[in-house]
Formats: sequence, C-alpha cells, structure tokens
Amino acid sequence: MTLGYALTIGVFIGIFTILTVSLNILTGYARQVSLGHAAFFGIGAYSSAILAVKCGLSFWAALPITIVITALVGVFLGLPSLRVSHDFLVLSTIGLNFIVVAIFNYFPFFGGSMGIIDIPMPRLLGRPLSNLEYFILTLSLVFLTVLTSYYLSKTWGRLAMEAMGEDEVAAKSMGINVPKFKIYAFAISSAYAGIAGSLWAHYVGSVFPHNFSFDRSVAILSMLVFGGMGTIRGAVFGAVLLRLIPEFFRFVENYRMLIYGGLLVLMIMFQPMGLLGKGSFIWNGIESLLSRLRSRGMRAVE
Amino acid sequence: MLIWQNLVYALVLGSTYALMVIGLTMIYGILKILHIAHAGIYTLGAYVGLFILLHLSDNFWVALPLAMLASGLAGVLIYRGMYYYMLTKPRIIPLISSIGLFIALQELYRLVAGPYQKAFPAKFSFLSIKTEYLIVTSKQMLIIVLTAVFLLALYFIINRTKLGLGWQACSQDIEMAGAMGVNVNRVVALNFFIGSALAGAAGVLMALYRNSVYPTMGAVVAYKAFVVVVLGGFGSVTGGVVAGLLLALVETMLGSLEWFEFPRDAIAFLVLIFTLMFRPKGLFGR
Amino acid sequence: MKLKVAVVGISLILLFLAAGLALQEETIKIGFFAPLTGFAAADGMSALRGAQIAVDFINEAGGINGKKIELIYYDDACKADEAAAIARKLIERDKVVIGISGSYSTPTRAAAAIFQEAGVPMISAYAIHPSIILTGELIFRVGLGAPVEGIAGAVLAVEKLGAQRIAILTMDNDFGVALSEWFKRKIEEINSKRVEAGMAAKQVEIVYEKRYPLGETEFRELLTAIKAKEPELIWATAYFHEAANIVSQARELGIEVPIIGQEGYDSPKFIELGGPATEGTIIVTDLNRDSDREIVRRFLEEYEKRTGIPADMVGASAFDAVQVAAYAIKVGGTEAEAIAEAINGIKDFEEAVTGPFYYFKDREAVRPVEIQIVKGGEFHYFMTFTDPEVITPPAL
Repeated sequence: MTLGYALTIGVFIGIFTILTVSLNILTGYARQVSLGHAAFFGIGAYSSAILAVKCGLSFWAALPITIVITALVGVFLGLPSLRVSHDFLVLSTIGLNFIVVAIFNYFPFFGGSMGIIDIPMPRLLGRPLSNLEYFILTLSLVFLTVLTSYYLSKTWGRLAMEAMGEDEVAAKSMGINVPKFKIYAFAISSAYAGIAGSLWAHYVGSVFPHNFSFDRSVAILSMLVFGGMGTIRGAVFGAVLLRLIPEFFRFVENYRMLIYGGLLVLMIMFQPMGLLGKGSFIWNGIESLLSRLRSRGMRAVE
Repeated sequence: MLIWQNLVYALVLGSTYALMVIGLTMIYGILKILHIAHAGIYTLGAYVGLFILLHLSDNFWVALPLAMLASGLAGVLIYRGMYYYMLTKPRIIPLISSIGLFIALQELYRLVAGPYQKAFPAKFSFLSIKTEYLIVTSKQMLIIVLTAVFLLALYFIINRTKLGLGWQACSQDIEMAGAMGVNVNRVVALNFFIGSALAGAAGVLMALYRNSVYPTMGAVVAYKAFVVVVLGGFGSVTGGVVAGLLLALVETMLGSLEWFEFPRDAIAFLVLIFTLMFRPKGLFGR
Repeated sequence: MKLKVAVVGISLILLFLAAGLALQEETIKIGFFAPLTGFAAADGMSALRGAQIAVDFINEAGGINGKKIELIYYDDACKADEAAAIARKLIERDKVVIGISGSYSTPTRAAAAIFQEAGVPMISAYAIHPSIILTGELIFRVGLGAPVEGIAGAVLAVEKLGAQRIAILTMDNDFGVALSEWFKRKIEEINSKRVEAGMAAKQVEIVYEKRYPLGETEFRELLTAIKAKEPELIWATAYFHEAANIVSQARELGIEVPIIGQEGYDSPKFIELGGPATEGTIIVTDLNRDSDREIVRRFLEEYEKRTGIPADMVGASAFDAVQVAAYAIKVGGTEAEAIAEAINGIKDFEEAVTGPFYYFKDREAVRPVEIQIVKGGEFHYFMTFTDPEVITPPAL
C-alpha cells in the first residue's frame, strides 16, 4: 500500500462522499427518492470533459459552468416532480438515468461508446496537480458539500423540506412553498453531483457512458441507506465504508452489486435509518456513550 | 402487408408487456407498492424453465406450468418475507427494498448460472400461418394465444369470482375491505401468486422466442413494464394491457423505419417522461 | 524474554521468505486482459484459454531461452476504464515485458494508449479497430483489422457470390461501424471500376442500411423491411448474441438469401443460440477449422480437450498473440524497442494458428483471410483469400 495508491482511494472516497451527501439533500431531507443520481454525476462529468477537451477550458473555468448546467438540468427534472410524488418520481429518475446514458452512447458529440478521453489533469501555477494536491482539492470540495448540507439542515429550509417530505399537505397548509423547496433540493443536489462528476472526469482522465449507469445510482443510494439516510454523518460513513471494504477484500469485487442489493434490502428491513442514522442501534449506543462521558465529565468538575 | 406483419410483432411484444404489467398493476392497486423486483421473477421463470428443460423434460408444456408455479411461489415468498413487514411504513421503504432485491436477484442468477447467454431448447408444436403476405410462426402464435387465454382467465377471476371481488374491494379501500370481512392477507397473497406466475410465464415465453436466457434479461423489460404501468394509469389492469400493446406498437413501427436509429429502449423512457409531465394519470388512470 | 523470541521468530520467517524469493524461478511476465465477466465473457474466457494453451506449449518446450513464461491476467469486463486501470497495473505493479489484449476494440484502444505511453509493447489479439495500431510504434495487431475484414467481405459478397443488391445491418459501436465502413468503401471502389470498364449496369446497389444498438434482441420489424427490398445478400455486423438473433429471425421470416457475418459470429455460442437457422451463414474470419497445418490441429485438439467445446477465432488469436510475443522476446530480448523490431521483422511465421503470418505491415499481421461457413452445426472451410490486393491492410 503505497502513499500514491492510498491517495487514489482517498480521492474516489471523496468523490462518492460528495455524491452521497448530495443525494441525501434530495432523498434524505426532501424525501424525493432519486434513483437517477448517477445521471447528474454523468452530466457533470461529461460537461466538464467536453469543456476541457473540445473548448480547451481549464478545470477551474469549467467548474462553474458545469455547476450551472447540472443545476439547470436538475431543476428541469424537478419540474415533473411538482406534479407527481414518490412512486412516479422514482420511475422518472430511473428513466432519466437511462435516457442520459443512451444520449451519451448515441450522439457522436459525446463520443459515443468510445467516450471522451485525454481529459487533462487540472493545472495550478503552471503545472498539473500532483496526486496529493488533487486529494486536497477533493477533500476541500467534500468539506464544502458537507458545510452546505449542514447549513441547509439547520436553516428553515431543511425543516420545510422535512415537513414537505413527511406530509406535503400539512406543509402546504403551514404556508411552506412546497414547489420552491422541491426545486431547491433538486438544484442543489444535482449541482453537487455535478461537482463530483467534474472531479471524476479530470482524475480518471476519461468518461464513458457506462460509468454513469443505473447500477451507479443504485450504488450511491445503497451507500446512503447503509450509512444513514437523512444524516450527513450517515452519508459520509456509508460512502467511506462501502468504498473502502473492496480495497481490503479483493475477492469482494465479483460480489459487489450483490452486496449493494442485499444491503439495501437488509438495511431497509432492519435498520432503515442506516447504521449511523437517528435511532439506529449503533447511533443510540454512541449517543448514550457520549452522554455518559458528559455526565462523568460534569461530575469530575464538581 | 408490412403493416399486418408488423402488427404481429407488436402483438407479440405487447403480450410480454401485458403479462408483466398485470402483476405490477394488481400489486400496486392493492398495496400501493412499486414492485420492481417483479422483473427478477420474469428472469426466474426463464431460468426455472431452462432448468426443467435440461434436467426433467424437454417438453415445453411441462416446463411452462412448472416455471409459472415456481414464479408464483417466489412472488408469495417475497410478499410474506419482505413486503408484509413494510405495509405500514413510509412508501420509500418497500420501494428501496424492492430495488435492492431486484439487483440482488440478478447478481444471484449471474453467480449461479454464469454470465453467458444460454439457449432454450424447448420442444413444442403449435399452429402457425405461412402465407406469402403474412407469416406467423408457431412461437408467435403461441405467445399471442397464450396471453389471450391468460387475460381471459384473469378477467373471469376478477369479475366473476369471490377472489376477484375481494381484489376489487381491496384496491378501492383496503381498510374498508378488511372491515367488511375480506381476508385481505389471502387476497394479497393470491394476488402476488397470480401476478408473479404471469411474469414467470412472460420470462419463459421470451426465452423461447429469442432462444436465450441470461441474468440481465429482466432489466429492460422491467423498466418498460413500469412505463406501461404509468402510461396505462396506475391501478388499471385494462389500461395497463392496452398501454402495453400501444407501446409495443410504437416501438415496432419506429423500429421498422430505416432512418430511425435511436435505441428503441430509450423510446419507452421518453414516453415515460412525457406521460409524467403531461398526463401523469396515464391514459386510463383514476 | 518474549520480545527476544519474537525477534528471532520474525527474523527466521523473513530469512525463509528471502530464500524463497531468491530461489523462485525468474519468469518472463506477459500481461493479459480479457472480458471474463459481462456480456462478452464467452469470448474473454476463450481468449484466456487460448493464451494459456500457448503459454503451456511454450513452457513444455523449455520456455524462452530457458526461462518460463508467466501469464498475468485480469478481467476488464469489456470496459475501457477497467482496461486502462489494468494496463497501469500490469505495467507498474506486475512489470510485464509485453501486454496482450484478449478483449474487444473499445477496451483495447484505451489500454493501448497506456502501454504506448509507458513504453511497453502491446499486441491486440483480435480487436479490429484501425485506431488501435495508430496509437504508436509499440502497438501491434495479430488479428484481422476492420479494413481487411470489410474489404474481404465486399470481395466475397460481390465477386465471389455475385450479389448486386445488398442490405447492410450495422451494430452501432466501433467494431460494427468500422467493419461496415470498409465494406462499403470497397463496394464503392468495385462500382467505380465497373463503371470505368463500361459495366455500369453491374454496379452494386445498397438497398437498405440501418444501425442497431449493441445488445438488441428484436430484429423482426427491421428484417421485414429488408425482406421487402429483396436483397440478394445481407451483410450484418454483430457479436455472437445479436448475430444469433439476426440470423434465426431472418430465417423465420422466410429470408433465404446468404447472410455474411464477420469474426463476431466466430464462436460456438453463435451456433448454440442461433440453432439450425445458422446453417449456411458465411463469415469472414481467420481461423480455418479444416486446415491441415500441424499447429492448427494441435491447438484445436488441445482446446477441445481442455474445455469440451470447439475452439473459435478468439481463442486462436490469443494463442497466436502469445506465440508472436514469445518469438519476439526470444529473438530480441526484453527491451521494448528490440521486441518491436523483432515483430516487424517477422517473415512467414508458421507457428500461428490463424496464419501463416507472411509479414507485418504497419504493425499489422498480413496473412490469409478465411471464409468459413456453418455446415452441420459447425464452422467449416468455404474459401481462403490470399490475394495481396485483398489481404494487405490499406494505408490509413
């Protein structure tokens, strides 16, 4: 295990953390189940790739544009969600995922099945970023995503989203502008997925349609459900653990999707709040441990 | 001439969609659950059918009913083992669970039977039509006729039997139905049995039609079946069947055009998005 | 006390390890990747077996200059990014002397870029895309390339089978598109020649042309439209699963004209899935099952002995790739430049199953193109092209 390899794993964990945290905003807070998050991941990645390879833009210049594009598509997709709810929405997101991948595969502009390759490493101060620097970049963006999510969870936006998620009618009757917040959720969630896509494209150096398939959406949702839907710590934990384990158990590779699927079923049945979610076995244990430590601390002070 | 020939293809394709849609619609009608794992049953039917052909009897008429039985039972198992515990939870729970199960099933098939496509060596004979203007092969005839028989049987069950009455009651108001003395549990279980058996049948028929069984054969059909459910209007079985035929027709007609090269599977999803945006109740929804 | 025991114990273990490593025979490492899972798994497994047979044959005969070959292989699931990652692994971690792609065109292209940049030679066993060898001076191909395959197909269809009305079905990926492109180019060339020779009426007409996506299983409406155009021959590019469906559905519809396939059809899976409808399908490939050359018989027997199923072009090509690699290392050593030079200098290489390789032009093997036909549920000899005009890769 060289440092270089560890940093590489770190970058990918970071990218997936951004994906789970952003999905959490949509699916965890606003309760809009999305099984097409990989589509936004892909739109971000392809936008960034095309801007870099066909327009010669640098990673930094392309980033804001990518964010705007992805957020716009997110909003556009959020619009049907205003008229339908839950079940219908899931289908739309699945459908979106397939359409987006089909578009990437079919139109030569996106490179077709050959994808887009030779995406350059971002440059800073005249030279390409080193592995370590890229890791730091990724980490910063993870931090940004987490911060945004935290802010959202603390402001009334989150309460509105949760209320809306639980019972739209009640939320509406309290004067919460449901459509506005649904759209916000879609926009922000998609934008961050787009950022993750940008990071991916420039690190891997290539994008292919199958990188953003439905399987990927399932994987992201799995990580979120596993860690704890509705919580930031759950999102981070899920991403980190599920990306780390295959590194230590190579044979797991062949069973990866089986595990994701199985995890979804088992977690949802027995610990739907995830391993670190509110009220989970583990989290309850952690909370009671913390409160015991606190009371001990207070007694020590006395 | 071409139109009639293409109509035959559309009918065959539509039959598959119809068989899948029935189960999905019936389950959604009562439990309000999007049973995505339904597609896993489709594939299960095909694999069970293949297993029987290879190890028990190469007669199609033995493989089909046994595969349907196995599929029906699997469906009931999924209900009693999984959905049963989720009936009062928020709907996101069974939804995610179903997706996870579907993915897990696909992977299990791959790990157990291998990732390769396998041939479906069934022996059977059936009527066929072979004129200069129209060819309907025995496989095509079989699928169309069998589906029609199943649909008729289903119609009979829903409208003329106690079970059917119970289903109608449950799909209108499940609590009321229970209060009125309908054995909800049994209705639901039978529901799953019938729906899953039909899905298994669809799997066997398609395995026969394309002479191949492979782990991911259910994936595209699954998603298309849902498009059909939406198009038909959630909860309406007739609507679903008609929508299935319609979608098959659109796919076939567009596929026959020389200049239309967009992948036909994507057509279904475009239909889905447009339906959800402009007519979310579907064609026949209530 | 415990600490001393631990230190002694660990030192002993380390000593054993070191001794073991030192005593371990030094092998010549050849890298290999193929789709061992996914839709292309049947071909990938075949390629792997073919390569392993070659490695075993060579090692049994004493290896290369006394050293044994070690085949280090990975599964790329037919994905380009996997292949690229594997290429890096083979080069940086496993430190292979040469890489061999037992995979399809898309992953091979991706891996080729990595190998070329790292200065390690790579041989593509059967991936056909022209751009693969254009990647650089260290990338070679032993299998047929799309241009030669397409050209041979056109000559076969038009000049040998005499078709003048042709329908074209193209699988919409780099494999299918490249093949059809060169097929059409050759037809255009034949047409201009016929016009020049005053035989304008004998020009070939493409009566129908359509692309379909990889993985498609339903071709009936498409084939019905083709039938209405009354072609004399159908050229359909496909992998074995699509091919099986195209052929069986075409026959079901009553289309009786010859269907010409390419190396994508060259697999027992095609015959298994397509059933009796595959009888009479003609394919452009490079493996002649009826050849009486000794290396072919040896390979076919060994392959069937190990796997229980008949060999295919993919397995044979992987075998040949290892043969060429081993030859180059024997002659040139382990330096990249020397290996490349050795391959370029090959003349009349008989030890190839899909050969003999006459020579290498622009890093591509030039050798006979085999046309095989399905008879009695098996592939058999139909004809061979050795005409330089057909088998020489055109300038790109």
